[in-house]
Amino acid sequence: MSVLVNGRIHDLPEPPTLAALLVALTPQLPFAVACNGEFVQRGTYEDCRIDRGDRIDIVHPTAGG
Amino acid sequence: MQDQLTLYGQSFTSRLLLGTARYDSPSLLSDAICAANPAMLTVSLRRQLSGSKDSGQSFWNLLRQTQRTILPNTAGCLSAGEAIKTACMARELFQTNFIKLEVIGDEVNLQPDPFGLVEAANKLVKLGFQVLPYCTEDWVLCSRLMDAGCEVLMPWAAPIGTGQGPRNPRGLRDLRERAPKIPLIVDAGIGLPSQACQVMEWGFDGVLLNTAVSRALDPVRMAGAFAQAVKGGRSAFLAGPMIVQETAVPSTPEIGRPFASGSSRLEGLAPGLMRG
Repeated sequence: MSVLVNGRIHDLPEPPTLAALLVALTPQLPFAVACNGEFVQRGTYEDCRIDRGDRIDIVHPTAGG
Repeated sequence: MQDQLTLYGQSFTSRLLLGTARYDSPSLLSDAICAANPAMLTVSLRRQLSGSKDSGQSFWNLLRQTQRTILPNTAGCLSAGEAIKTACMARELFQTNFIKLEVIGDEVNLQPDPFGLVEAANKLVKLGFQVLPYCTEDWVLCSRLMDAGCEVLMPWAAPIGTGQGPRNPRGLRDLRERAPKIPLIVDAGIGLPSQACQVMEWGFDGVLLNTAVSRALDPVRMAGAFAQAVKGGRSAFLAGPMIVQETAVPSTPEIGRPFASGSSRLEGLAPGLMRG
């Protein structure tokens, strides 16, 4: 069982929630998250269940024009 | 009273907006920001790289130190849906309702997609965003964006990163004339301070640029040059340029010119027609 995080394969956490995945990954602050192309608001990570094959995007600030 | 740029109720003393991309180093970016004194800094968001020691933290700290207003973009989005999702992520990440809305319709010249742009603008305004759309000078597109609730428009001068300067001066000036109230910021394609000065002389409210500064041989010096150009152009616009004449008009008084023969056509001018 695995999920794709920023295009790379990661184990599905236990419990299978976005919150548990982020605890395992410890992304650097600040960040924002999308699951299967849908933005997930901070504060709802516990409620966001993830399944095998889900695509998670974790983004951070970068330079832009 | 100080001349200020007001965008969605927020006032700025500077009329220059500066991009943060393509600088050779963070310190060069920081120095260029100081020299440009921009109203806003444009930024973006990208995926964190697995295993990277610095996933945007140093850039984030640099941004906060500048104490500038942040304008996140939706760069690279090819549909309204992508742009809306990116805007939502940017709002949470940067804690601002401002969004520079980009929906690209052509990957060769990075031209805005007018249909996707209007669709995304409509939805984002309803979601409470303060949308600054990167658009063209097309009047119908601009009027649709205003109908959607955009309180600022950002027409391009030329394709992003080209530095060509205004490709369609007549179209840009027509837009200014037809939309005299809404703030218009020329975004993309400016390469030289003289071009920034020119669009400000035409009555545009501001200029947004990136590559013209970051890819200059001396970005810090160029940032300062653009800051002066934007100020100069704005002052010239406010001063009210003279009306262009079809024929020569002497600036020195003709009356009393020595050695003039009585038959000169200029001798007959009334005193009120003398030029100072």
